[in-house]
Amino acid sequence: MYRFLRLPVLLVGFFMAASSYAASNSQPALTTEDALGPQVVQPIEFPHNRHAGLHDASDPTKGGMEINCQYCHTYARRSAVAGIPPLQKCIGCHQNIESVRNKSRIVELFKYWDAKKAVPWKKVHDLPDFVRFNHERHIKRFIEQQDRPVQEACGYCHGDVKEMTVARRQKPLAMGWCASCHEKDHPVVAEGGTPIAGQAYWYSFQKPAAAQDANTKARGPNDCWQCHK
Amino acid sequence: MIDSGSVKQLAGHPFDRRDFLKVLGWSGAAVALSGCGNTSIEDGKETVVSYVEANDYMVPGIGVYYNSTCAQCDAGCSINGRVREGRVLKLEGNPDSAINKGKLCGLGQAGVQHHYNPDRVREPLLRNGNKGETISWDKAYALIAEKLSGVKGEEIAFLSGGVSGHLKALLGNYLDSLGTKNHFVYEAVAPGVVRAANVKAYGVEMPRYRFDKAQVVLSFGADFLGSWVSPVHFSQQYAQFRKGVNGQRGVLVQVESKMTLTGANADRWLAVKPGTEGVLALGIINALGIATGEVAELVKGYDRARVSSETGVAPGQIDKIAALLKLRSPSLVLAGSAAEGYAHGSQNAAAIHLLNQVLGNVGKTVEAPVSVPFPQMAPAKGNTAALKTLNDGLAAGKYKVLFNFAANPVFTAPGAFKFKDNLAKAGFKVAFAHYLDETALQADLVLPLDSAMEDWGTQVPEYMTEGAQINIQQPLMERLHANTRGMGDIVLTLIKQRRADEYKAFEDYYAYLRGAMLQNKGALGGGGVDDDTFWNETLTQGIVKLAGSTGTLTAHAAAAGLTLPAPAASDEQYPLHLIPGVTASLRDGRHTNQPWLQESPDPLTTIVWDSWVEVHPKKATELGIVEGDIVEVTSKTGSVKAQVYLFPGIHPEAISIPVGRGHDAMGRYAKGYGVNPFQIMDAVFDAATGELAMHETRVNIKKTGQRVLVVKDEGSAGALQMGRKIAARVSTDQVDLSKEV
Ligand code: SF4
Repeated sequence: MYRFLRLPVLLVGFFMAASSYAASNSQPALTTEDALGPQVVQPIEFPHNRHAGLHDASDPTKGGMEINCQYCHTYARRSAVAGIPPLQKCIGCHQNIESVRNKSRIVELFKYWDAKKAVPWKKVHDLPDFVRFNHERHIKRFIEQQDRPVQEACGYCHGDVKEMTVARRQKPLAMGWCASCHEKDHPVVAEGGTPIAGQAYWYSFQKPAAAQDANTKARGPNDCWQCHK
Repeated sequence: MIDSGSVKQLAGHPFDRRDFLKVLGWSGAAVALSGCGNTSIEDGKETVVSYVEANDYMVPGIGVYYNSTCAQCDAGCSINGRVREGRVLKLEGNPDSAINKGKLCGLGQAGVQHHYNPDRVREPLLRNGNKGETISWDKAYALIAEKLSGVKGEEIAFLSGGVSGHLKALLGNYLDSLGTKNHFVYEAVAPGVVRAANVKAYGVEMPRYRFDKAQVVLSFGADFLGSWVSPVHFSQQYAQFRKGVNGQRGVLVQVESKMTLTGANADRWLAVKPGTEGVLALGIINALGIATGEVAELVKGYDRARVSSETGVAPGQIDKIAALLKLRSPSLVLAGSAAEGYAHGSQNAAAIHLLNQVLGNVGKTVEAPVSVPFPQMAPAKGNTAALKTLNDGLAAGKYKVLFNFAANPVFTAPGAFKFKDNLAKAGFKVAFAHYLDETALQADLVLPLDSAMEDWGTQVPEYMTEGAQINIQQPLMERLHANTRGMGDIVLTLIKQRRADEYKAFEDYYAYLRGAMLQNKGALGGGGVDDDTFWNETLTQGIVKLAGSTGTLTAHAAAAGLTLPAPAASDEQYPLHLIPGVTASLRDGRHTNQPWLQESPDPLTTIVWDSWVEVHPKKATELGIVEGDIVEVTSKTGSVKAQVYLFPGIHPEAISIPVGRGHDAMGRYAKGYGVNPFQIMDAVFDAATGELAMHETRVNIKKTGQRVLVVKDEGSAGALQMGRKIAARVSTDQVDLSKEV
């Protein structure tokens, strides 16, 4: 019989808890600022800067190689999840780069390869399971439709990776932060001069014009189910 | 649209410790709130494993699909499994299969839980007292060889469920190499009597039924939409039948003592006294008045009054059915498990088949079956007579070595067999097992099997349509556990112990299978194609379709030898018939450890995770029983206790308990849920075939005084409409069937 009482008691408790929470927290801070994630120790200290960083004109042995993010992170434009490049990808290049073959990190890398074992990388960016973020859609929108530079587009969420060694989370990746971008009024004009806005734009029913009119605005998808499926 | 201010409020706000404690103090439920806004919970903690090498088609987050075959029952539906990141996630039907045409039943859907089941056996286990000790496969094989050496062929027995395809051929060769003919193919729920009766009436064990061509289906207890023979296929034909030929919707009449899923779908459901199905069939022939010669002679005595008093079906109903069958032709009359489950089951089935013949349906809605042109691959069909022979042999202490594969007789043998005690008399018992089920627990050596999603194989279904087919079973993913093996691989290793030379060319069962298929490439439709192309196409399609050979149907159901017994005298001590309910999802209980099956409500009673005793409301009033009462059901053989569910869909002189539950081993989702009616079943056999008469057990029920809340999905008022007239109803005696159709 106590079973029947349990639900009302729970609901009352929940209500009070929720109201006490709301009452003492009237003005939360905005969450659009950068929020550094923890420094993650990886099995191999992968130098993003060396791979994706800018060339050093004065000394080609320093600086980066300006490799396109999508060369290694090839799944991002094909799938909702970006995945991690297969080990084969690393080896594909490194088996031909004798100059660094004896560096400790590369030796370590080849140990995994020879044992045919996956590198146990740690997750740097993780969303809760009730959020469905789609990499493919964002890449289509920014890189393919709008021709933004790859590093800029990836950087919206991942920060300036070309400056990092081991990647570290730069943004809060919380819902308020996502919304802060999705609600921005982006100036958009369709091909042929018609202003387009809202969903038609996002679902790419119409293509944006190359030259944009600053007065036409569009928003990112704003329905709950876009991310909470 | 969401107001972004409030979104932010929820989203990124840091939750400090004081807040947290405050919330926690109020209610445990509020803890959930602390989760909101804390994203990136696993940053730096969870490992994200990438592929070492990946093919181009392997993209994280994108599924790849493989065709294979459902192994949850013998119907042989083809499946299409979605695999993502190397894990099988979801099964659908393969649209190319003529059997299931892209559909799958609930039992088939649960196949993934067979594979991912946490209670699978993972290592070979050798009995040491009451414990199983892990041993290596090499040791296990050596032990089998040792135990077999010097043992005569007739002292070895192999018990299995239904097998077909290359496994059957290989197993046959192995048993041959052991010099034994003792292969007992046992299925606890199988249409054994109907097969024999079909041979007599039609000349084949299992003809093709054409529901889609019939205008009336009269089914005597064949649950063809739920669990009978090939339910997914029949359901699709049934849809066709309901749409009708020339716009005339088919009419389904179901005759049985316990309502099945098919009965619940029928236009007219008739409750007959248990065991009198044959009498009703003869009564209908009589009422039709079209029979001549010796058939007319036979049915002469079965006039309305007699048939009505013996079967409990009102005379008017018999006339209505006869009128309907006359009006609409062709029709289809089926004998199902409810009709065959008696000591005179064969006679029941013969009478029903006779009705089919009198109506001229043979050749119209009962067609000749097709079979594969490789008889060695045709299915070895299980029945219950095989178990009786084995049990007698065990009781006599005949067997020194016993193998068991895909059968769980300690659970499914009728209590009167005392199978467990007899099993103990076998010398060395080897179980090839997926779970430590009741039978595996009695074994001396348990060898863990791959799941159907890890193993290779071929299957030939008993019931095929539109040409013959060989179904391909292939792994959908890598082994979950390193030390399980495929049954084919095990048998191949064993046969190499005896005939090394013959089989040395085959490194594993995959090689054997591929070799055997390629050898017959021409006959399998791959003439002129190179080996690799043929093999890859076969695997891609998951089915090899063959023209097959069509058997011939003979219509010689005859009146000769057909005698139905006088109605059984009422038994004072055990007044009620026990009807074992076979449900669409649990069948004989081999998959009960798949929680989806426990969780999906029974379609008729909506009960989950438990057994129940179906009692007619009238009977219940008589006995002073209400829903939820725990009653003790006692037969000559034993007794079980279970909750009562008042069910108008059962004959007042019968009760029904579903089979499949009541395991005392097998795994966490099966053990301890419900009761096992097999335990209290008497050993009564069909006189003609020696098959177990599953409906012959008589019981009585007694209140124990305990009462529980029945856990079910329907409303507490027993699905009453609470005066809302959601579905209007008329009582059956006010319905004029001729107006209805
Ligand atoms: S009827 Fe159901 S369980 Fe049987 S093979 Fe078909 S899908 Fe599988």
